Amino acid sequence: MSNPNSSLNEPAPPIVQFAGVTKTYDAGTSKAFTAIRDVNFVVEDRPEHGEFIGILGPSGCGKSTILRLIAGLSPQHPPTEGSVKVWGEDVTGPGADRGMVFQDYTSFSNRTVLDNVAFGLECQGVSKSDRYEQAIDWIAKVGLDPDHDPQKYPHQLSGGMKQRVAIARTLILHPKIILMDEPFGALDPVTRHNMQDLLVGLWRDLEATVFFITHDVREAVYLGDRVFILSNSPGTILEEAVVPTPDRLARDMQREPDFLAHVDRISTRIESLEEGKD
Amino acid sequence: MPENEDQKSEGPTAQASRCSEWLKRCLTIRDQPSQFERFSAGGFCIVLIVLVWGFVTAGPNEERIVGSYTLPSIKEAVDSFPRLWFERALARSTVASLMRVLGGFILAAAIAVPMGVVAACFPRVNAFFQPLSVFSRNIPVAALIPLTLIWFGLGETQKVMFIFIAAIGFIFFDTVNSVNGVSSRFLDTSYTLGAKSVPKKGAIRAGFIGLIYGVILAVIVGVISSLDNPSLTTAEVIQSPGVWGAFAAGLIGGFIIWFPIQSHQSIQKVMFPLALPNVVNSLRLLFGLAFGYIMLAEVLNANHGLGHIINMSQRNGPREHIYLILIIISLLAFTIDRVVFWLQKRWFPYVQS
Repeated sequence: MSNPNSSLNEPAPPIVQFAGVTKTYDAGTSKAFTAIRDVNFVVEDRPEHGEFIGILGPSGCGKSTILRLIAGLSPQHPPTEGSVKVWGEDVTGPGADRGMVFQDYTSFSNRTVLDNVAFGLECQGVSKSDRYEQAIDWIAKVGLDPDHDPQKYPHQLSGGMKQRVAIARTLILHPKIILMDEPFGALDPVTRHNMQDLLVGLWRDLEATVFFITHDVREAVYLGDRVFILSNSPGTILEEAVVPTPDRLARDMQREPDFLAHVDRISTRIESLEEGKD
Repeated sequence: MPENEDQKSEGPTAQASRCSEWLKRCLTIRDQPSQFERFSAGGFCIVLIVLVWGFVTAGPNEERIVGSYTLPSIKEAVDSFPRLWFERALARSTVASLMRVLGGFILAAAIAVPMGVVAACFPRVNAFFQPLSVFSRNIPVAALIPLTLIWFGLGETQKVMFIFIAAIGFIFFDTVNSVNGVSSRFLDTSYTLGAKSVPKKGAIRAGFIGLIYGVILAVIVGVISSLDNPSLTTAEVIQSPGVWGAFAAGLIGGFIIWFPIQSHQSIQKVMFPLALPNVVNSLRLLFGLAFGYIMLAEVLNANHGLGHIINMSQRNGPREHIYLILIIISLLAFTIDRVVFWLQKRWFPYVQS
C-alpha cells in the first residue's frame, strides 16, 4: 500500500479509519472470543504534523488487536466485521509503510546491529554501501555509538539499547505510520524517560502518525496528542482525551500540576475499569 | 607473595576444613566444578576401567579371572595393533566407513533440512509429510538391511542408502522443530520491515543451488558406480545414463525444495538463519547416531570398513581387534563431534551457551 498522491483539490483521506470493527476468534465455535467490539475512530491527515496517539486500557482489552489490525498482521487481520482503512484503502496485509516496534525484543540475534538496522533496506534491494551508510546515520540518531555499536550482536546489548535498535530499523524506512506495542514496557524508569525523549525528538522530524500502546498513564499523557481509553474486553473506545503536547523533557514535564491533573483523571478512569465498575 | 605464605603456613586443620568444604560442594546440586575437576573426573573413569581390565586379565592365561578367549589383556590388545594396521588396512577401512556414513548423511541432510524448513513454514506441507516422518522414525533400523539389499544390491550404493534412509526422517523432524522454535514475533517484525516474496530472485538462487546439487549427486553416483565396477573407464562413467539422471534429479529436486525458501525474504533472511544454529546442533548429534549404524551397513559384502573388520575378527580372530575397533570408532566419533562443535562456535558467534 502506498500513500496515494491525491491532487491538492481533493481532501486527503484520513490516515487511519476504523468503522465498526469487531474481531472474534474462532467465530461460531464454543471457543469463540471477541477481542474488540465495534471500534470506531478516525485519525485525519494533518499536513506536516503527524499525530501521536496513546492507547490505554485495562489488561486484555484488545489494545494490541487494534495495532495489529492496522499493521495487517495475522491472526488479528482481517477483522471479523467492519473495515480498517489506511489512507482510504482497506488494509490487505503488512508492509513497510506501517512500521511496528514490539515490547518483546525482536532484534534478529544472527545479525549485527548494523545489519539489523539495515534489514528493511536490504529487503528493498538497496546496495550494501548505501544501506550501511544510512544505517550508521540512524544508529547515531537513536543515541547508540556509531563507532563501536554497529558490529555488536544483540546479545551484547542492554534492553534499552535493543529497543533503540528496534526504533532505528523501523524509522530508517520512513514509515508514515508507526505502531508501538508497549515498546518501553520492560525498561527501568530512567531508561524509559530517556527513550521517551528520544522518541519525541525523532517523531517531530519524521512527521509520522504514531500509535503507542502503554500501561503507563504518565507515558501516554506525556507522549500523546490524544489518548484513547478502551473499555474492558471486548474492547471499544470509551473516550478520546486531548492532552498537552510534549514540548519539554519528560522528567520536567511529568512533574507539573497541569500534567498530573490529566494523569490523575485518566488513571481514575482506568482503575474503575480494571475493577469492572464502568 | 602473601597468598604463598598463607599456603605454606597452612596447618592440618585448615587443610581438613578445605577438604570438607570441597566435599560439601561435591554434594551440592548443580554446583559447577572447575575445568581441572572435570578433566580429573573423566580421567579417573578411564584409569578405573584400565585398572579393572588389567586386574581381571593379569597373569598367565590359566590363572586369569577372565580368560583371554573372552577378554584379551591390555598388552595383547596393544600388540595386535600392527596386524590391524597392516593386514587389515585400518586406515583404508576407516576412510571407507567414514565416506559411507558421510555420503549417506550429507545426502539426507541436503534433502531433509530444506524440506524441514519448508514444512515448518507451511504447516500443510508438514501435515502431508507427517505419515512418512512418523514411519521413518519408528521403523527398526536393522530391518532396513534386507530391504536395502533387495533395492540397491550388494555394492556401495546399498551402504550409502542405508545410512541415508536411517537418517533422513530424524533430520527432517529435528529441522521442523528447530524452525518451529523461532518465535513468530520475528516473522511479524520482518513483515512490518517490508520482507516480501521475491519469486524471480528466488528462482535464480534456487536454480543455482539445484545446479550444485546436480553436480554433487552426479559425482557421488559416478564414484559409487566406478567403485562397484572397477572395469569402467572414467569416460564411460561420465557418459553413463545413471550419472546424467542423477544430475537431472539433483537439479530439479534441489530447485523444488529450495525455491520456497529462497523466494520468501522472511524465510531466507529470518526464519532459516535464526533456526540454523539449532539445526546444525541436531545434525551434529544425529551424525553420532548415524556413525553407530555403520556396523549394520557393513555386515554384508564389504571389502573394507570398520564394521567389516569386526565381522572378520569375530569369525577368524584375533578378537583383540574388536576391542580396538570399538575404541577407534568412539574416538573418531568424538573427534568429529568436537570439530563440528568448534565450527559451530565459529559460525554462530552470537549463540550464547
